Amino acid sequence: MPDPTDPGQPPSVPPESVPPRRAFLRGALGAGAAGAVGGAAAGYAYRATRPAPASQALERAQAGVLPPVPFHGRYQAGILPQSQRQTAVISFNATADGRAELTDLFRTITARARFLTAGGTPPPAGIGAPPSDSGVLGPTVAPDGLTVTVGVGSTLFDDRYGLASQQPARLKPMTAFPDDALDPAQCGGDLVLQLSAGNSDVAVYALRDIARHTRGGMQALWRIDGFTSPARPSGTIPRNMLGFMDGIANPDTSNRAQMDRLVWIQAGTAGEPAWTAGGSYFVVRLIRMLVEFWDRVDIAEQENMIGRRRASGYPLDANSIRATPNFPADPTGAVIPLTSHIRLANPRTAVTADSRILRRGYTYDRGIDQVGNLDIGLIFTCFQQDLKRQFETVQTRLAGEPLTDYISPFGGGYFLALPGVVNGSDYLGRAMLA
Amino acid sequence: MRRAALTAALAVSTGVIAACSGAPSPAQISVSNGGCGSSWQLADPGWHTFQIHNAAAENADVDLVNPGNGAIYAEVEALGPGTTSPMRLNVGSGSYAFRCLFEDFEAITGPTVVVGGHARGTPAILPVTRNDLLAPARQYHDWVAAGLNTLAGQAGALAADVRTGNLGAARTAWLTAHLTYQRLGAAYDAFGDFGDEIDGVPDSQAGVHDPDWTGFHRLEYGLWHGQSAGQLTGVANKLVADIRGLRASWPDQEIDLIDMGLRTHEILENALQFQLSGHDDYGSGTTLATTQANIDGTRELLTILRPLLVPRYAGLPAVYSWLDRLQALIGKERRPNGTWVSVSALSTSQRQQIDAACSQALEALAPIAAITEPRRT
Repeated sequence: MPDPTDPGQPPSVPPESVPPRRAFLRGALGAGAAGAVGGAAAGYAYRATRPAPASQALERAQAGVLPPVPFHGRYQAGILPQSQRQTAVISFNATADGRAELTDLFRTITARARFLTAGGTPPPAGIGAPPSDSGVLGPTVAPDGLTVTVGVGSTLFDDRYGLASQQPARLKPMTAFPDDALDPAQCGGDLVLQLSAGNSDVAVYALRDIARHTRGGMQALWRIDGFTSPARPSGTIPRNMLGFMDGIANPDTSNRAQMDRLVWIQAGTAGEPAWTAGGSYFVVRLIRMLVEFWDRVDIAEQENMIGRRRASGYPLDANSIRATPNFPADPTGAVIPLTSHIRLANPRTAVTADSRILRRGYTYDRGIDQVGNLDIGLIFTCFQQDLKRQFETVQTRLAGEPLTDYISPFGGGYFLALPGVVNGSDYLGRAMLA
Repeated sequence: MRRAALTAALAVSTGVIAACSGAPSPAQISVSNGGCGSSWQLADPGWHTFQIHNAAAENADVDLVNPGNGAIYAEVEALGPGTTSPMRLNVGSGSYAFRCLFEDFEAITGPTVVVGGHARGTPAILPVTRNDLLAPARQYHDWVAAGLNTLAGQAGALAADVRTGNLGAARTAWLTAHLTYQRLGAAYDAFGDFGDEIDGVPDSQAGVHDPDWTGFHRLEYGLWHGQSAGQLTGVANKLVADIRGLRASWPDQEIDLIDMGLRTHEILENALQFQLSGHDDYGSGTTLATTQANIDGTRELLTILRPLLVPRYAGLPAVYSWLDRLQALIGKERRPNGTWVSVSALSTSQRQQIDAACSQALEALAPIAAITEPRRT
C-alpha cells in the first residue's frame, strides 16, 4: 500500500517544485478542509488546491449544491482535485461490436458526462417513452461538484477493435504483488469510470444515467463506492480506517512543472503513442483493512508499523505533522523503524523523488465477511506519468512491510486516464480512436 | 401591445404567433367541464411548462394535441379535482390545442394555437385506443390457445416418459415442453395461479425440499438430480393436469389490453432477472434456451402490434436489431446435438455480451408499453 500517511515534500526534489512552506500549508488547508468538497478543478486544474472558505464549502456539500466542475479542458477534471466526499468506481468491459460502436460508446459517455457535470433539466420523454432519467435528483439535476474520470485498461487494446498499435507503452494487467490476494472477478476491465461528487446520490445518479445510455456498449465488471472522512479532530487530513491520517504528502497539484513531471504523460514521453499526451496512468487498488486484527495490536506496534503517531499524525521523530522525518539521522531505525510504512514508501532521497505519485484515496465500507468481520478498507487510487517508474517502484519497496499482515489487496486494475475533452465537439478517446 | 395581439389571435381560435422576446413564465391552464384551456398562449418555440389546473369536480386526463390529427404532444393523466400538475415539452412548429377528458364526458378540445416556422419540438404521437387493441388482443389470445394445445400434447408425452422410466427421453421431452410454455410469454402472472403451479420455484425458506413445490422446475430438479421415476410420476401427472386446467380455462380469460404493450418488455425483463442470471436453473442448464423462447414470445407480440408501432415508434428497427444480436449470441451456445451451454459455464466475456444485448434490447423495447397504452380520444 503506497504510503497512506506520508507528509511533506522530500527534501531532495528540485527547487522549483518545492513551494514555500507557508504556501504549501495554505494549499493544504484549502484542499483538505474544503478539499474533499471544494477541490473542483478547471480544465487545467492547478487551482484545485487553492484555499476556499472551508465552512462555505462544507455547507454547500451538505446542501448538495457544490458548483459544477468545468468538464472541458486539456486534462480530465477529476484527476487533480482533492478527494471529494463521495466516489464510485466502476470497471466495465466493452461489449461494443467493432470500432464504430466503440466510438459511439465513448461519444455517449462523453455526452452524458458533459450533461451530468453541468447539471440541468433532463428533457421530458413525451408520451411515448418512460421518463428520460431516474428522477433521483429531482426535476433539475444538480452537478454537486461531479467529476467523471474515464480510464482504459490494457484489454481494450486486444484484437477486438484494432487498437493494438495504439496501446500505451506501460499499460498492462495489474501486477499481482507478493502480498496480494487478488480476486479475478474484481480486477481489470476494458474501461473504468470514477464518479466523484459531494454526495453519493449524485454519484449513483451519474452511474445509472451513464449505464442506461450505454447498455449495449459496455457491461459492468466490478464496482465499489467510497467516501472521504472529515479531518478529525481538526486540520486538513482525513483518517483512514486504521485510525491514522492518510494522504498528508502529495505532489503539489498547483505546481505545473511538478504535474508535468509526475502526473501527465507528455507529448514525446518515451515510447508512448502520441494520443496519450495529456493522459495519466491511473491505478486502482482495492485494499481491505483487517480492522479487527489491527484493533488488537498495541499502539506502539501500530505506530512503529506506520512511522507516525496515531493521534497527531506526527512522524515518530518530530513534534509536527508537517515535519519531514529525518531518516539520515536515524540510520538504524531506532526511532522510525526501517520497515515502517512511511520510510519504505517515501525514503525522501534524490533517487526516489521521481517515483512519487498523486494519491487519491477513499474509504470503502461494504458489509461483512464469512466470520462476521467488517469488510472495510481503502480504495487506493493514484495518478502518475509512468506506471513502472512510479507506482510499481513504490509498491516494490513496500513488499513485505509489517503492515502487510493487516491489509489485503484484493482487486483493482491499471488504467490510462484519457486526455481531456477540449470542447463540445471533442470526445473522450477521440485521438485514440482516430 | 403584445398581450392584446395574442388575445386577438386566440379569439379566432388559431393564430400564428411570431417569436416573442423574453422568457415566458409558466402558463396556467385551467380545465373544467366548461372549457379546456380556453385562454392560453404560446410564445416562442422551445421549452415550455404549463401548469394544468383541474377546476372541475371529476378526474381529468389533459392532453396537448395536434388538433389536425389528434396526435398527442404531452399529457397529464388522472389529474384530481382542484389539483395542479406541470406539463413540460419542447414546442416546435405546428398546431397545438388542449384536449380534456373527464370521466363520463365526451372529450372537449380547446382553441388551437399555431406556432409558425420550422422549429423541431417534442414529436406528437397518435394515441392508441382500446378499439385499436381489440383485434391484436384476439390474435394474441388465439395464438396462446394454439400454444396451450401444443403444450398439453408435449406435457403428456413427457409424463409418459417419466411414468415408464425413460428418464433420458423425459429430459429431452421436458425441455421441449418447457420451451413451449416459456414461448407463451408467461410473464408476471399472465396465467394467474396456474402459472405458479406450472412453472413456479420453491418457497425460498424450504428450498428444493419444499413439499408443495410442483411444476416444470420441480420436475427439472428431479430429472437432473437422479430422482427416480417413482418419485417424479406424481409431479409429472400434476403438471399435465395443471396444463389441461389452464387450457380449459383459457377461452374465458380476457387479455387486458394494456398488458400486450407491457409484455413486450416484461418477458425479457424476467429473462434477464431469472434466466440470464441462472436463478431459475434447477439442474438442466437450459436458461439460455428459455431466453430464446422468451425472445420468440416477445417477437410474436411485436408482430401482432407491428401495425400500431410502425407509424408511432422510430426506434422499432433498433428493437429488432438488438433482438437479432441477442438471439445470435444465444444461438452460439446451443450445441449441435441440441443441448445447451448453461450460463454458469459461460466466460465472463460471453455472459457480458449476452447481458449487454439483452439490456439494450430492453431499453429499446421499453417505450412500446407507453406508446400502446390504450388512451381515450
